[in-house]
Amino acid sequence: MGQTLTEKILSRVVGRPVSPGETIYPEPDLITVHDWYVVNFDKSLQELGIKKLYDASKVLIATDHEPIALNVLSAERQRNIRKIVAKYGIEHFYDNGRGGHGHIFPMEMGYITPGMFVLAYDTHVTNYGAVGCLGIAMITEITEVLGCGSVWIRVPETIRINLTGKLKPGITIRDISQKLTIDLEADLVDYCAVEFGGPALKDIGVDGRMTLCNTPLEIGAKTAIVEPDESTLKWLKGRVKDPSKLSLMKSDPDAKYKKVIEYDLGIFEPQVAAPPRPDNVVGISTLKGIDVHHAYIGSCANGSITDMRDTALILKGRKVNDNVRLIITPATQEIAAQAAHEGLTEIFAEAGALLTAPGCGPCSGGRIGAMAPGEVSINTGTRNDPGRLGTTEGFIYLASPMTVAASAITGQITDPRQFL
Amino acid sequence: MSMIYEGRCWKFGDNLAVDADLTKKEFASQRETRLEILREFCMCGIDPDFHKKVSPGDIIVAGKRFAQGNPHIQGLLGIRGLELGLVVESIPRGSFRNAINAGLPFMTKCEGVVDECDTGDLLRVNFETGLFENLTRKTSKQYVPLEASLLQTIAQGGWQPTIEKRIASMGLI
Repeated sequence: MGQTLTEKILSRVVGRPVSPGETIYPEPDLITVHDWYVVNFDKSLQELGIKKLYDASKVLIATDHEPIALNVLSAERQRNIRKIVAKYGIEHFYDNGRGGHGHIFPMEMGYITPGMFVLAYDTHVTNYGAVGCLGIAMITEITEVLGCGSVWIRVPETIRINLTGKLKPGITIRDISQKLTIDLEADLVDYCAVEFGGPALKDIGVDGRMTLCNTPLEIGAKTAIVEPDESTLKWLKGRVKDPSKLSLMKSDPDAKYKKVIEYDLGIFEPQVAAPPRPDNVVGISTLKGIDVHHAYIGSCANGSITDMRDTALILKGRKVNDNVRLIITPATQEIAAQAAHEGLTEIFAEAGALLTAPGCGPCSGGRIGAMAPGEVSINTGTRNDPGRLGTTEGFIYLASPMTVAASAITGQITDPRQFL
Repeated sequence: MSMIYEGRCWKFGDNLAVDADLTKKEFASQRETRLEILREFCMCGIDPDFHKKVSPGDIIVAGKRFAQGNPHIQGLLGIRGLELGLVVESIPRGSFRNAINAGLPFMTKCEGVVDECDTGDLLRVNFETGLFENLTRKTSKQYVPLEASLLQTIAQGGWQPTIEKRIASMGLI
């Protein structure tokens, strides 16, 4: 019987055909860990008596949750991270100002290729699905992966989403991915791999594919992956060391899916996730007139160059409202450089927006650019639970970069189409 | 560890948040893992006195997406700290793993279980066989238990003791 892309990747890794429901111990091709957890995994390994990593050459460390030290404590933490990296001999270490967001720059730098299997300490590693790589998050157990080489996972069933149709003006992939969280039932998606394919995929670049793969896990998916195609290869050429080794692994025509869904991109209005959960999604017309104080564009969901361009399209020649502070975080060093090259950062600065260091931006718990109790934020972060941006007494709305930029200009939640 | 729990039912609805309802959010960023601390804040977002009302062996019964949110283990460690069992209609993947890692006996995919009991009912749950009995109503329901390897991890006390055994068997120390 045929296999889905996820089943194929896991079968390759364990060296035999696997089926949904099986518990396996696959050794990942790469393990990514983010700055905040480095000190913790070192402490755990020490407590367990483990002195060396199972394979340090497969470990990549990103500095993104705290890309610039904000106080003495964080400077000390960063110094500890450097010592720990040296102690274990981890070569793929990206310090302040190198790389940027760990869910994105490894793709830019050619670490991530179609058919790979990655385990990571952070939920949004599913971004790697944008280039056909299977990324699965581990939390506490990343220590086990680092020390023992693997950890148990259950082979998931796959839900296939065939994308059709075209985006309407002012509607972005973020709107689609948010609408998907309510159109897909959480009970259906729970513990499954979500696989994207279909005729509309040809119009969605790797940036948009990252956004697509970022959101399904908020309703319980184990992972998300886009079936790689020629445009994936085109994006990766020049980024990987040996392009001749790139191959397109796809699901078999007779693969067994839990469900196959046809999904039309032609939705009619921007979608906003209202507090307190990312799946509390409504059409923007129901939220008009809500005052905002804090706005943010960036994160692993929407910090790409495409997102920077969408933002500039709305901000160009306009000013951020006096009652709003708008923070923009290009996700990676490459994106920051490209945004500067294209003159986008000039547009942001002239509009009165703030640019912060590449990485997670405020979305990593509000350590940078937090909000105060009682304030309202509209942003492109991944989650809107109370406390996500510092205070538990704030109100967080999630939307596309265009919607956030338009709202920052008017000072109220605003449909961006009036500025197009 | 016995996998049969007998005690009172504490029933909750859908979508309980792992950080806001099950515990204090600060515990996640503090990486607090001490059971004696976390059990004092179990379910504090819903009832700050919950930990004073329950007894070991009592069972939390809840609806869909129990412990939803960013998968932090602290809320699940709090339940383990009070030695309670857990029966839910569904639990998202991150919290599913964390419940195993916390060494918390639980069952999921128990469709309709919230209709099978009320807070205060006397329950008996066998987490190995999946048998759910309401001794007050004199009814029972058969669910699918967790697979044996995961139950073994729970019986061993969760992730920490299990990885210690794995490390020893691999000769890593």
